[in-house]
Amino acid sequence: MLRNYMDLRDAREKGEPGMALLTWPIKKIRIVGLTLLPFLLPVFALGQSPDRNVSVLYAGSLATVMENGIGPAFAKATGYTYQGEAQGSLGAAQLMRNRLRTPDVFVSADPLVNTNLLMGPQNGNLVKWFVVVASSQLVIAYNPRSRFAAKLDEAAANKTPWYDVLAIPSLRFGRGDPTVDPKGYRTLLMFRLAARHYHREDIPKLLGEPLNPVQVFPEVVLLARVESGQFDAGIFYKHEILARHLPYISLPPEVNLGDPRFSDLYAQESYATSSGQQITGAPILFTVTIPESARHRDAALAFVRFLLTSGDLFRQFGFGEVEHRAGGDTTQIPTQLQSLTSGVFKL
Amino acid sequence: MSRHAKPTFLVFGFLGSFLLIDLVLPIANLFFDADWASWINALKQPEARQALKISIESSAISMAAMVLLGVPLGYLLARANLPLKRMWISLVFLPMVVPDLAAGILLLKTFGPYGIIGQPLDARNISLTNNLAGIVLAQLFVAAPFVIVSALAGFSSVDPKLELAAATLGDSQWHIFRRVALPLAWPGIAAGLTLAWIRAMGEFGSTLIVAYNPHSLPVYMWVKFESDGLNGALPAAFCLVVLAACAVGASMMLSRLTGFADVVTPFGKAATGETLT
Repeated sequence: MLRNYMDLRDAREKGEPGMALLTWPIKKIRIVGLTLLPFLLPVFALGQSPDRNVSVLYAGSLATVMENGIGPAFAKATGYTYQGEAQGSLGAAQLMRNRLRTPDVFVSADPLVNTNLLMGPQNGNLVKWFVVVASSQLVIAYNPRSRFAAKLDEAAANKTPWYDVLAIPSLRFGRGDPTVDPKGYRTLLMFRLAARHYHREDIPKLLGEPLNPVQVFPEVVLLARVESGQFDAGIFYKHEILARHLPYISLPPEVNLGDPRFSDLYAQESYATSSGQQITGAPILFTVTIPESARHRDAALAFVRFLLTSGDLFRQFGFGEVEHRAGGDTTQIPTQLQSLTSGVFKL
Repeated sequence: MSRHAKPTFLVFGFLGSFLLIDLVLPIANLFFDADWASWINALKQPEARQALKISIESSAISMAAMVLLGVPLGYLLARANLPLKRMWISLVFLPMVVPDLAAGILLLKTFGPYGIIGQPLDARNISLTNNLAGIVLAQLFVAAPFVIVSALAGFSSVDPKLELAAATLGDSQWHIFRRVALPLAWPGIAAGLTLAWIRAMGEFGSTLIVAYNPHSLPVYMWVKFESDGLNGALPAAFCLVVLAACAVGASMMLSRLTGFADVVTPFGKAATGETLT
């Protein structure tokens, strides 16, 4: 039976049977309803069951491979739900140190982030081990509509030395900030390796000061600048650039920090950060670990397992395949993962 | 006051307190956790002072631009017979719904070295990004709508008869604006300016993209957070909260001094005749 508001009020006033509940004044009902509302709101927010969920905190440059590749493939293969979060490697480690994030899995863009910020008693032993997942290399990406695109194309085809093109005074190129981004200090090291490789002492001068305000930007901002055409070129990881479909100039393995076989050569260069930390040149390696604060260990184990057996996916997204060397206290590596690692990682 | 007023206030207070948990507790917590000595030390660093200086300078320039350019625009929108008036008003509102990050990219595409406006200037060696100008452009984008809207509301709430009376007494349009409309609308505009200043000081998302360097205080806070963690970022956060509190305090003092004891809203407060005297 359909009744409108007026009918209801009449029925109530007449004390019709079945209207007992409605003998309360409507005003009062409204007030009580409103008062209860704040208590009901959290109920909607708790709808999801978190047990079958894995939360992954990862280095920002991995966003495409994680969100479009690994994440969905993992969910499909295992039935767990995947929840990823991209942050700068250093910033992510700081979030974990300050207990602002308790991810089940942490993927960093530099083994040093583990050893310096998360491992050892001074860091609360938040991380005890890590495994190398993949490698990447530095490239010079450029905007195809740049007014120097023809020159940059020539450099990409190895017809003109790239450092001569970057030396054009009105060409704008950017790089990561060494204070907030491993790619920032790796770029500095890369230019010094180039000076060595090409016997051109003037190459590092293209960068100016380490924190040269004209060139230095956070990762996402730099990519936005090159993509929107406000910068002609920038130094990036190869996998970032493949994801954005930008043209790029490849660099020789002696320079690009992408080949573990040249570790000894890379180690001849070093850079002291503004906080006085000494960073020695090393191949660009991404590592994975399950922090001690992980909430869902089964899901985390399944995810790391999946990651270490996804070489094809990583290759598709522009990474290099490497041996899954294990670093830190290797006795702490969960037994289910032991068989997937090979050898010990030395800094 | 009716006898129902009290329970109503009780319920409203109860409801409001839930929101206060979200609004006040996190900031109160900042002060409970305070490590004063090391914070003050951190804020004495040359980089921190530089960032504070940049933020104060840029927001002062933004304020001047908002007063000189935004208030007249608000008057125009309130009083002039503009064609497509509603469209102009909604256009002024639009930046308020654009997310900061998107705003940064849009600004960059316009004022960047290869942007529509940036390119011709760049040819004359004038840069509008990655300097104080870039910070000001980002601040204006997010904060100026507050001033324009409060000016529009303030001027609209002035009784047109007063302006008409001034006109019949032979005052010019400029005089009517200066002597009648502006004093009456001022409390609302001042509140809008306070809000706009606070918004400009705290602007982060679009500034990061348009002008990463020189670091303004919010950008500096982010850099410190990324490099040194929470302890690096909190002093700057504390500094921003204190600055905002000072702004609100100054605005309240000013409104008290000028005879408007009530705290005015950004959408204006109908002025009374007493300001004319």
